Order: sequence, then C-alpha cells, then structure tokens
Amino acid sequence: MTEKKVTKKELNQIFWRSFALQGAFNYERMQNLGYVYTMIPVIKKLYKEHDDQVKALNRHMEIFNTTPAVAPTIMGISAAMEEQNANNPDFDASSISAVKASLMGPLAGIGDSLFWGTFRVIAAGIGISLATQGNIFGPLLFLILYNIPNIFVRIAGLKLGYRVGVNSLERIQREGLMDKIMAMTTTVGLVVVGGMVATMLKIETPLKFNLKGAKVNLQEILNQIMPNMLPLIVTFIVYFLLKKKVSITKLTLGILAAGIIIHWIGIL
Amino acid sequence: MLAQSIMLGIVAGIGILDSRIFGMLMLERPLVTGMLVGLVLGDVTTGVIIGAQLELIWMGIAGIGASTPPDVVTGGILGTAFAIISGQGAEVALVLAVPIAVLAQSLGVLVRIINGYFLHKADRYASEANFRGVTFMMWIPPILFFLSVFIPTFLAIMLGADQVKGLIDAVPKTIIDGLGVAGNLLPAIGFALLLDMLFTKKMGVFFFLGFLAASYLELNITAIALLGSCIAVVIHIVINNKNEEQVSQPYNNLTEGEINFD
Repeated sequence: MTEKKVTKKELNQIFWRSFALQGAFNYERMQNLGYVYTMIPVIKKLYKEHDDQVKALNRHMEIFNTTPAVAPTIMGISAAMEEQNANNPDFDASSISAVKASLMGPLAGIGDSLFWGTFRVIAAGIGISLATQGNIFGPLLFLILYNIPNIFVRIAGLKLGYRVGVNSLERIQREGLMDKIMAMTTTVGLVVVGGMVATMLKIETPLKFNLKGAKVNLQEILNQIMPNMLPLIVTFIVYFLLKKKVSITKLTLGILAAGIIIHWIGIL
Repeated sequence: MLAQSIMLGIVAGIGILDSRIFGMLMLERPLVTGMLVGLVLGDVTTGVIIGAQLELIWMGIAGIGASTPPDVVTGGILGTAFAIISGQGAEVALVLAVPIAVLAQSLGVLVRIINGYFLHKADRYASEANFRGVTFMMWIPPILFFLSVFIPTFLAIMLGADQVKGLIDAVPKTIIDGLGVAGNLLPAIGFALLLDMLFTKKMGVFFFLGFLAASYLELNITAIALLGSCIAVVIHIVINNKNEEQVSQPYNNLTEGEINFD
C-alpha cells in the first residue's frame, strides 16, 4: 500500500483557508465551520472512502475556539495526525479531537496575551502617537507592525505543527517555554500600557486657587508631586470598577455623564 | 452622497469581515477605518486624527473568547463620518460612535445566532461527505456579516447625515466641551481592560516602570516598547537561565532530531 501524504499543496491551502477561521462563527460550536473548511483539502487528499471522509469531516465539526493567529499551528498538528490515521489502521482517531481540544485553550491564552495584549498594544501605541498629529503613516505603521508577527506566527506555526506534531508541542509546554514566552510578552505589554497611560491620557485640571493673594495652579502642584498623576489615578479607579464587575457599557455611559458634569463644575 | 454612502458601507463591510475571513489583520480597528472614512469623504487628516481618538477609547475592546464585543466597526465609521460631514471635532465622533457601537453589536449577535442554522445544515452535508455543501454553508455567514454592517452604514449616511448635522448644531457648547473631557477620560477604560488581562501582583511593577519612564524620562512609546523588550529578555531569559544553571539542571534545547531520553 502506498503511503498517503499531505503535500506542500495542502499545507498552502490550509494557510490561505485559515484566514477565514471565524467566517461562520456561531454560539454553538464557534469556529468549527472555519476549521472544517481549512481541513477539507487534507481530508480529500488522505481519504478516498466515503465513510472515512464522513468520519473526518465530523471530527473537525466539533467545537473549536482559539486565537486566530495561532490556529494554523493546531491545524498543522491535525494534518500530521490525520496523515498518521490514514496510513495506520491501528491509530486512535479520537486522539485527533483530544489534541485539538487540549491545545486550543492554552494556545488561546498565550495567543491572546501575545497578540491582543502585546503586539496590538505596541503597534497601536506607535500608530496612535503619529496619527494624533494627522499623520497617515500612523494607521499604516500600525497595520505593518501588527501583521509582521501575525503572518509570521501563522506560517511558522503551521510548519512547526505539521513537522513536529503533538509530541514536541507537549514537550515545549512541559519545559515551561510557553510560560516563559507568556511572562515575557506580559512584561512588555505592561511596560507599554504604563507608558501609554502616561502619554495618551490627557487629563489635566484647570483649577486655580487664590492663596493669600498668590495664584496657585493646582495642576502645577500635582506635576511637582508626580507628573501624570491624574491619568494614573483615573486608570486605577476604572480598573477597580472593572474588578467589581461593572459592565463596560455602564462604565462608558458613566464616564460620558461624568465628563459633562465635571467640566460643568469646572474641575476638568 | 449616494456614492459615498455605498463606499462607506463597503468600508464597514471590509471592517467586519476582517475578523471573519481576513484573519484579523486589524482592518477593523478605528485607527484604520478612520483613515479610510477620511479618504472617502476627502479629509484624510481629520479621519486619521478621529480614528486615533476612537482607537484609544476602544483600546481594550477585543473580540477574544466567545463574547461579542461592541461593534467598533459600525460605531467607528459612522462616528468618524458624521464628525467629518458636520465639520465638528472628535467630541462629536465620540458621542455618536459609543452608542452606535452598542446598538450595532446586537446585529452581530443576531447573525451569530442565525449561523446556527447553517451549522446544522453543514452537519447534514458532512454526514453525506458533501464537501461542496459544507463549503457553501461556511461561506453564507460572511455574506450575512457583510450585510449586517453595510445596510445600517449605507442607510445612516444616506438618510441621516442632514438630521444628525442639525441635531449636533442644536447641542449647547458646554455639553460638547464636556464630551471632549469625557473623551479624554474614556481611554482609561481601554487601559483598565488591558490591565485586567495583564496585571498581576507579581508583574504589576512593570506597568509602573513604563509609566515612570514616560512621566519622568519623557520617553516615547517606541522607546518604551524597545526597552521593555530588552528588560523582558534580561529577566526571563538571562536571569532565569542563570538560576537554572546554578541548580545544575541539564539544559534541553529544542533542535530538530534531538533524542529525548525521558
């Protein structure tokens, strides 16, 4: 029997199709239709029997949800496992689903903090600092800076996933490399968010007092204690309200109302 | 106005499909849609500036997990468009964008619910090994997502531009200025949401490091990001590995073909 093999052609198809992962997002099984859609070329290539095709399709119709950028890594592993399954009659096909289910959570954790909490924040921070002056390179730089890691992780993850399969990824996790990457990205993310609170929150008070004939500017005093003290305080007030499970919609409406009132009183 | 309404509708469509079929390239973010709206309406500079303002406010709003976030696409595009059309500043964009985003969110929820129907049809096709059918069921929902933002955006610009302009002109100046103040406060929500994701007692000090570097040393964001990366490498790789060597743990590298003996 000739060995059935996933070729470069199918991997390329996985790569392009993986962009549409959330195309048919639904509440019941989330990204599953997008996932089965990316796996179709592999299933077609590996299985010729009707029953095998049905089984494979149903396998990938199961619930799936992870950060889109890291999904190709899992798809690469799925492709490698489907290949083993097609060639080895003793292969336990349920392990394909088990691996998917066990990887999507941890990879979503690392993917979200990497892409949403770090790359996006850095790219947006740099982009916004240009764009506030009306510079068109702001949005363009934002897109470029974010998408370099986005595309790179998609390509490299797919290749890595297919080539090394399940075992190595488990090993990476066991050796704590995942934790290390996570800790590093969290560090950078926090540093940048700290910088953004200081540079992008423009909260200054126009309040002035008359103290024994001398005019006192409150903002100048605050600046002498610590520059950007008000932005820091406001951020932490909102942070603690979030921790108290106040919804974002309520917070937004609250701040809109508070802004008008505070301005009317003359504090800000 | 007809041509512009259609083009803005398409910009909204591209924005909503970004997270659906374009692999989250960030085309949906207000920073980018603001620029595109500016291009369509012939005022790129204003579009970019308002986009930056809205991006700050919605910094923390992310489509992660299973939840459906406020629709920053429709909100951002209509807010920016009305601000440019009415000739008012970012304050107007903001006061329109925030409620529109919350309203438009419900359409996104509706589409996700309707998608359940196509999912079940796809289930049936899968059990017949009908690849074509499954693919078809996968591609109908993106059309629904597109329409869910194209139609409201098109109608709002086509029918609402004059009314919105009249409405905005009627609002007293104190309120508009107050909204400007609120606009400066709102990004705190975005930063707080990011902190909610990143902040822990152990790691919290890095937030203050960035804050102090910007406040006292007056470094810009690029400098802070680069220095932060160096610090992350130093702490998590250099120092951590040193500790591992001290307790003389064998260092495993992950090169290909390495034999794992355990």
